[in-house]
Amino acid sequence: MRAGKISRREFLGVARSAAIAGIVAAGVVGGIAGYVGGSSAAPPKTITATTTVTGVARTITETRTVTQTVSGAVEPLKVGYVYVGPVGDYGWSYGHDRGRRWADEHFGLPVKSFYRESVPEPEVGSAIETLIDEGAKLIFTTSFGFMDATAEYAAKYPDRYFVHISGYRSGAAGNAPENMSAAFAEFYQLYYLNGLAAGAVTETGVVGYVGAYPIPEVVRHINAFVLGANYAYKKRTGKNIKAHVNWIFSWVAPDAARKAAIALIEEKNCDVIAFTEDTPSVLQVAEEYWKKGKKVWSFSHYSDMREYGPNAHLTGQIANWGPIYLDFYRMVATNSWISVDIWARIGDYTPYRWRRPVEKSTAGQAEGVVYLAPLNPAIPSEWQILIKQRYEEMKELLFEPFSVEGNLGEPIMDQNGEVRIKAGERADHDMLWNMDWLVEYIEEPLPKA
Amino acid sequence: MIEWIESVLGLTIQVGTVYLLASLGEIYAERSGVLNLGLEGIMVMGAALSFIFTLAYGHLAAILISVIAGILMSLILAVMAVYMRLNQTVTGLALTMLGLGLSGFLASPEVRKVILLALNPSLPESLLAIQEAPKLPEIHVPLLSGLPIIGCFFRQNVLVYVSYIAAPLMWFILFKTRPGLSLRSVGENPAAADAMGIDVFRVRCLATMISGGFAGLAGAYLFLGFQPFWQEGLTAGKGFIALSLVILSTWNPLRAILGAYLFGGVEVIQYRLQLFGLGALSPYLLAMLPYLAAIAALVAVSIESVRKRIGVPASLGIPYSREE
Repeated sequence: MRAGKISRREFLGVARSAAIAGIVAAGVVGGIAGYVGGSSAAPPKTITATTTVTGVARTITETRTVTQTVSGAVEPLKVGYVYVGPVGDYGWSYGHDRGRRWADEHFGLPVKSFYRESVPEPEVGSAIETLIDEGAKLIFTTSFGFMDATAEYAAKYPDRYFVHISGYRSGAAGNAPENMSAAFAEFYQLYYLNGLAAGAVTETGVVGYVGAYPIPEVVRHINAFVLGANYAYKKRTGKNIKAHVNWIFSWVAPDAARKAAIALIEEKNCDVIAFTEDTPSVLQVAEEYWKKGKKVWSFSHYSDMREYGPNAHLTGQIANWGPIYLDFYRMVATNSWISVDIWARIGDYTPYRWRRPVEKSTAGQAEGVVYLAPLNPAIPSEWQILIKQRYEEMKELLFEPFSVEGNLGEPIMDQNGEVRIKAGERADHDMLWNMDWLVEYIEEPLPKA
Repeated sequence: MIEWIESVLGLTIQVGTVYLLASLGEIYAERSGVLNLGLEGIMVMGAALSFIFTLAYGHLAAILISVIAGILMSLILAVMAVYMRLNQTVTGLALTMLGLGLSGFLASPEVRKVILLALNPSLPESLLAIQEAPKLPEIHVPLLSGLPIIGCFFRQNVLVYVSYIAAPLMWFILFKTRPGLSLRSVGENPAAADAMGIDVFRVRCLATMISGGFAGLAGAYLFLGFQPFWQEGLTAGKGFIALSLVILSTWNPLRAILGAYLFGGVEVIQYRLQLFGLGALSPYLLAMLPYLAAIAALVAVSIESVRKRIGVPASLGIPYSREE
C-alpha cells in the first residue's frame, strides 16, 4: 500500500486522479464482482488503485481472485487510534473507543482497528510510528496536545491519512498537510438546553459548574449553560439566575470533582450543577443529596450516565464519535479523501436533518454525533416542549444560543458589563473558538489559565 | 457559621481519613526500619478490589479482601527488602508500579466482567458494566452526632470510626507496650535488638505487613467511603502524600491524625476559597498547598539537628544483615 518514493505533492496529484480512476474502477469492478461473486467486497479493489496509476489494470486482473475466494482474500482497512487516557476512563478515551467500535461495526467492509491507550503527549510520535508499522492506513489522534505531532507525521507519511480530534490544524484550514483533517464533537448547543432544564427546575435560583480548565472550550460551555438557565429562570420568576464556577484543573479527577461540587452546594446553595469532568462523580454527589432529602440535579456528560443518578439526572450531552470515524473510513476506502475541518453539532451526521414538530422531536434519543440525554420527567412539561423545540430548531441552525434570542431578547454582556453580542448578531466560529469571557450572571472571575 | 464549620470539617474528616489510614500503617513499617514506597500501589489495588468484591459479595467481604491483598502485596516487599536485603526504594517503587498496572488490568471493563461472573454468576447484567459500587452508609452515633460542630465527627462511615480507634490504639502499642518497644528498637539499632534476642527479620516483616494491610484499607476507604467511582489510577498520588505525612507526623500515630486532617482540610478549603474569588488570583497556588506542606516537612526532617530531636528511626531504609 505504500506510495514508494513518490513525493507528497506528486502523491496527492496521483491520489486525486487515482481517486477518480478508483471510483470508476470501483463501479466497474464492483459491478462485475457483485454480479459474479454476490456479496464479495469490491471497495478494497479501490485501495489497490491507490498504489499506482497503472494499478487500475492490475485491479482488473485481480478481480478473478476476489470472485473466487470472496472475503478471504480481501485485505481489511487498517485503522489506528491514539488515546490520551485509558479506555476504561469512562469519559473521553472511553468515548473514542466506543466510537471506534461503532465505526468498525457499521463500516460493512473488512476493517481492522487497533489503538494505543494512555499515551503521554510527548510520546504520540512513537505511538503513531508503531501504528504505521502495524499497517495503519488511517490514524486518529484524539487529544488536543497531539495536534502538532500529528501534523508533523502527516508530512512525514504522505501516503497515510491522519485525523486529529479537538484541534485546529488541517489541510482544509491551510495549516497542515492535505492528508490531515480536524474534527470535533461540539456541545455548546446541548449545554444551552441543559441550562434551560436547570433554570426550569432550580428552586434556589443558583446554579453551579465544575469546570476542568479555563480554556475557550469549557468557557463557552459554561456560558451556554448559564444563558440557558437564565432564560428559563427569568421567564419563570422575573429574576436573573446566579451562577458559580469551581475549577478543578483536571479533565479526570473524581475526588476533586466531588469536593468542588460539595463546595458549590454547601457554600453557594446551588441546586443544579453542570460539569466538564470525565466521570459521573458530580452526578453521584447530587444523587447522595437526594438520599439525604435535598434536591440537587446534574447531568450526563459524553455518555448516558443515568444509572449513576436515577433521581438527580436531568438531561445532558452525549457524543457518539462513530459517525465521524466512519466517514473517514469511507473516504480512505474509496480513495475519495479530502481534508476537512468539522465541528459536529446537533443534526450533523443524521439521516434526516429537518426539524420535526415538538411531539415528534428526537430530543433525548440517540442520533448523529452529539445529542441530548433523556429528559427527566421532573422537568415541567412547558419547558420540555421548549427544550425540544430549540433542539429541533438547532438542527437547521434556526436558533443560536449565543444570540439575543438565546437571552430573552437582551444583548449578551460579560462580567465587566461589556456587550459581547448585540441584536442581529450571533457567535461565529472564531468567537466560539476563542471565547475568553464569562457572561454577566457568573459571580467568580475567570482565572488566568 | 456553625453550619459552615460543620460542612468544612465533616468533609475534611472524610478526605483526611484516606491519609490517616495509610500513614498509620506506614508509621509502623518505618519505625521498624522499612520504607514502604509501595503504599500508592497497594492503595490502588485495595480500591480496585473493594470495587469488584463489593459488587460481587458486599462491603464486608470487599474490605477484608482489600486488607488481605494489601498484606500479601507488602509481603513481596518484606521478602525482597527484609530477607533478600534489596534496595527498599527500588522494590517499593516497583510495588507501586505493579499495583497501578495490575489494578487497572483487573478492573478494566472486560476483565472485570469475567472476574465478577466467576465470583458471582447470578449478578445482574447492569452490575457487570457499572463503574461504581454502593457507598458505605453513614452511621450516626446516637447523641454525639447531634452535638454542634463535633457532631460531624460522628456522622461518618464505619471506616472513619475504625481510624478513630486505630490511631490511639496504635500509638499505645508503639509507645507503651513491649512489642512496640521491640519494633522501635529494630528500627533504631537492629544489631543491638538482635543481640537482645529480638528476631529483627520477623519484626520488620510483620511491620511491613501491617503497613500493607492499612494501605489496602485506605484504598478500600477511598473508593467505598469517599468517591465510589472506579478510575484507573484513582489514588492519584495520595499514597505519596501519606508518605510525606508520616514524616510530618514524626512517626507518631497521634500526630498523624492532626497531619491527615490538615492535609484534608487544605484540599477542602481550596474549593471554598475559589468561590470567594480567591481562586482566580492563583488557582495553581491553592492546588499546590498540600504539596508545599509536604516539601516543608521533608526539608525540616533532613536537617541533622531536627532529625535527632524528632527521632527519625536511625536505621530507616537500611537493610539489616547479621554478617556485617
